Amino acid sequence: MSAETGDPMPIRSIPELLAHALAMETEAAERYGELAVQMETHHKADVAAIFRRLENAEKKHLGELTEMCGKVELPHIAPWDFKWSTSESPEAIDIGKVHYQLSVREAVQLSLEHERKASEFYASVARTTDDAEVGRLAREFADEEQEHIGWLETWLAECGVEDSTVVEDPDPPLSQE
Amino acid sequence: MEAVAQKYKAKDYKSELKPIWCPGCGDYTVLNAITRALAELALPPEEVAVVSGIGCSSRIPAYTSVYGFHGVHGRALPVATGLKLARPELTVLVTGGDGDGFSIGGNHFLHACRRNVDMTYIVMDNQVYGMTKGQASPTTSPDWEGSKLTPEGTGINPFQPLVVGLASGANFIARVSSSDPVNMAQIIVEAIRHPGFSLVQVLSPCVTFRPEQAEWRDIVRTAVVDYTGDAARAARRLMTDDGFNVGKVLFKGERPPFRPEFEVTDGSVAQLEARFSL
Amino acid sequence: MTVHSVSLVIAGSGGAGVVTAGSLLLEAAANAGWYAMMSRSSGPQIRGGEAAAMLRFATEPVMSHDDSFNLLMAIDWENIGRFSAEIPMVADSLIVGDPAHGDAPAALLNGKPRQAALAMTDIAGRIENGRPNMVALGAIAALIGLPPEAMQAVVEKNLKRKGQAAIAASMAAFHAGVEAAADLPPIPRLPAISAAAAPRWSITGNEAAGLGVIRGGVRFVAAYPITPATEVLEWLAPSLAKVGGTLVQAEDELASINQIIGASYGGVPAMTATSGPGLSLMIESLGLAVAAEVPLVVVNVMRVGPSTGIATKSEQSDLNIAVYGLHGDAPHIVVAANSVADCLFTSQWAVHLAEAMQVPTIVLTDQAMGQSRAIIPRPAELAFIGQRETAKQAVEGERYKRYAVTASGVSPMAIPGTPGLTHTADGLEHNEFGTPSSQASDHLAQMDKRSRKLSQFNYGDHWADIEDFGSGADDAPQEVPLGDTAIITWGSSTGPAREALQRFSDAGGKARLISIRLIAPVQPERMAAALKGIRRAVIVEQSHSGQFYRMLRAFYDLPAETVSLHQGGPLAFGPARILEQLNQWSA
Repeated sequence: MSAETGDPMPIRSIPELLAHALAMETEAAERYGELAVQMETHHKADVAAIFRRLENAEKKHLGELTEMCGKVELPHIAPWDFKWSTSESPEAIDIGKVHYQLSVREAVQLSLEHERKASEFYASVARTTDDAEVGRLAREFADEEQEHIGWLETWLAECGVEDSTVVEDPDPPLSQE
Repeated sequence: MEAVAQKYKAKDYKSELKPIWCPGCGDYTVLNAITRALAELALPPEEVAVVSGIGCSSRIPAYTSVYGFHGVHGRALPVATGLKLARPELTVLVTGGDGDGFSIGGNHFLHACRRNVDMTYIVMDNQVYGMTKGQASPTTSPDWEGSKLTPEGTGINPFQPLVVGLASGANFIARVSSSDPVNMAQIIVEAIRHPGFSLVQVLSPCVTFRPEQAEWRDIVRTAVVDYTGDAARAARRLMTDDGFNVGKVLFKGERPPFRPEFEVTDGSVAQLEARFSL
Repeated sequence: MTVHSVSLVIAGSGGAGVVTAGSLLLEAAANAGWYAMMSRSSGPQIRGGEAAAMLRFATEPVMSHDDSFNLLMAIDWENIGRFSAEIPMVADSLIVGDPAHGDAPAALLNGKPRQAALAMTDIAGRIENGRPNMVALGAIAALIGLPPEAMQAVVEKNLKRKGQAAIAASMAAFHAGVEAAADLPPIPRLPAISAAAAPRWSITGNEAAGLGVIRGGVRFVAAYPITPATEVLEWLAPSLAKVGGTLVQAEDELASINQIIGASYGGVPAMTATSGPGLSLMIESLGLAVAAEVPLVVVNVMRVGPSTGIATKSEQSDLNIAVYGLHGDAPHIVVAANSVADCLFTSQWAVHLAEAMQVPTIVLTDQAMGQSRAIIPRPAELAFIGQRETAKQAVEGERYKRYAVTASGVSPMAIPGTPGLTHTADGLEHNEFGTPSSQASDHLAQMDKRSRKLSQFNYGDHWADIEDFGSGADDAPQEVPLGDTAIITWGSSTGPAREALQRFSDAGGKARLISIRLIAPVQPERMAAALKGIRRAVIVEQSHSGQFYRMLRAFYDLPAETVSLHQGGPLAFGPARILEQLNQWSA
């Protein structure tokens, strides 16, 4: 249902851009962490490892960003007032897209998809803003996302047959309380 | 200039406990929406309580860092009612599923709507009993043949929670989809802010027992009309919709929340005893 | 000390005003300085059914009804025969009927009582707005020695709103009844007592239970009406409001028990009242309160079961469900009141126990005491106030353990609103933090602590009323009982047992009463001490299957010679039947 096409509303100031970036990187780190936990809880070590690695990368990214924000007074933006056109921030994988039998390849593909969306978001900010400084920083952020995209593209290329098959579970689901 | 830190972050409302839900479950998203909503409302965690019964979605309290109560199957609403009436200053949320709320807890649902105590009821509706391996729930369609218990379907029309909620007197009615977590958070904020009993139905797919519900994200559509305060109009709309209009508040009533009547509150036990004295 | 008492019944059909007449008489008796007890029996109709007010007056506090009645004053005979089993009339009993309504039904005449006529309708008819029930009251007053001025004060108080004319008419009918009684055969009379006697209260068991929980600190009540417990809740509704509490009418008993769980989790001491069918519905959630360690009190006013049974009549047959009804190993407290007055003490004590041990507590009373009104000595002030051990402050670097395993078994409870101590209370088995756990070690540790907090608590002497009867008996129980015989009983059966023991000791016998107030957890050591030197015991209860007897058998070492007197409700064992057993042994 969520419209994901079209350029976002323009971002017009550095604090506004930083607030968006901070929210996006926070959510991305948290989401990768959440997905890692989901997979660990269900003993999917391979898939969990991918999300864990991305969580750590995002945390590092977040640390740098937080430092950059420094003493800048950031505006408070409610979750539904961010200027991306997706529901959650573009970098956060939609929880509804993962599943118990997610293959390594699917996990990498999903992550890649959202890293690209993150990069695209920054690129569109750069395109639409009328503030030169915002444009410069947004392009910088977009480039930074390319690093993760690069990794993921490599991983995807390295995925073997085994990584691409659906994990079988011969046991039926259990009854709880 | 000092950086303005938001008072609370969504993460502050999550506990250390790791959810046992299946990967991809809609309930993860509801947990995120609730924590986002609480952060947005900047409510101190100790002034919020989440109450639940039994079921997958009823596991939510323990995954939050607020006060939680995880009771028995179907009785979350009366626990929350007692808590809110005894401690009106607390913000009380109730979380649960369609089986817990509309089957075993059906009577409490009717009367919670009627009573209109100021609380927010978030029902994760996946049209199935997940914890017991996938039986038909009150909201399951009559021809669903996925359960060993009803191999030929239930043959019973599904329960219409929002219609029943409206008829019973719920003061705030909304339907959201777990595929739009931010919209859900926004609606939950509105539900908490609105005085009286707020009912939020979440279409929250069960990836394990109803994998076909993965399609919901493509079927749901944002409701075209904004909310009404006119119960008759809301009823007409709810009676004719197909259950997939989401993302908006459908009804907002003006009924004042229930508060027990107090006669006099400055009496003493001695005065009560005096009435027995000869 | 022989009980100086008069027992009488006022009976009639709907509109005869027998319950009103009984209440006026009770109040007048109180004005005369007497003690009294009134219970009611009625047909199944909501209005207009046959009704009987059963009263006993004495110069000492009344604990029980007598074996038979001295007087039946029948305003008419509509279906009054149905009460014959509940109102035994014997050879020296007197039945007074109105000739205008024909003859007494044969069912009342089996004991060959004396009969006399009082033309209540005719006499009332000669007075403007005169009513037959006031004529009846006049005759009763004259027969039992109640001074007319005692009634005058009551009528003036009760009819004040209806005006002077109504008061005059009522008193005229009353005095006409007094005069007409000159022609009636005598029945025992009570001596008048100075109104300056010891301070007394007029109270029902249900009211006393309500007052008890308020005194104990309860400030939240959830209510679902059920006979015969409704009056507890109806009394609490306005009373609780006066002390800043809240009463909510729930949609069913499942809701009422869970509402009080919610309120108590919120830190406000809470209770509800119900009867057998409602208790059955609450059982699952009582287990929740055990597991989640939420203190609460349920006053269960027992009626005849199973199922809907006889809603308006008494039985002591909810003992099993109260003690054993919960699934799993679920330590909780069951206490039982043993008189109208004791409903106050026991329900107040119950709040204290529940709060101190964070445990659900069931108070068993019954229809017989709940719906009986008694004139009792003013109850003592009690120190028992519910005091819950709470956690007030987070400890730096330590995660709060809601279910910490402590030596006492009680874990300090954080009340919502307390910063730094948020947690989830859970009915799922959990570890010390409250996190759900299916590990055997957590289950064992939590079961141990939930059991320990009950077993290590000091219940003091209140676990039972122990009284010795016979010459040389002191008020306090002796180290060694006077005789070698004991009655072990509980609840409403205590009154008749006590009276049987008084008669036994009047005749030179010596015996001990043990009326158990703390039904669960059981107190084997205390019972062993109470039974030291006792060779014979009679167990008295109002249960068809002998639930109490079987429970005693299961948990206590009883004397070799033990007799179980048990019968289902609504009839109670009278003092005579119990005395018969004691006499058999002493013969």
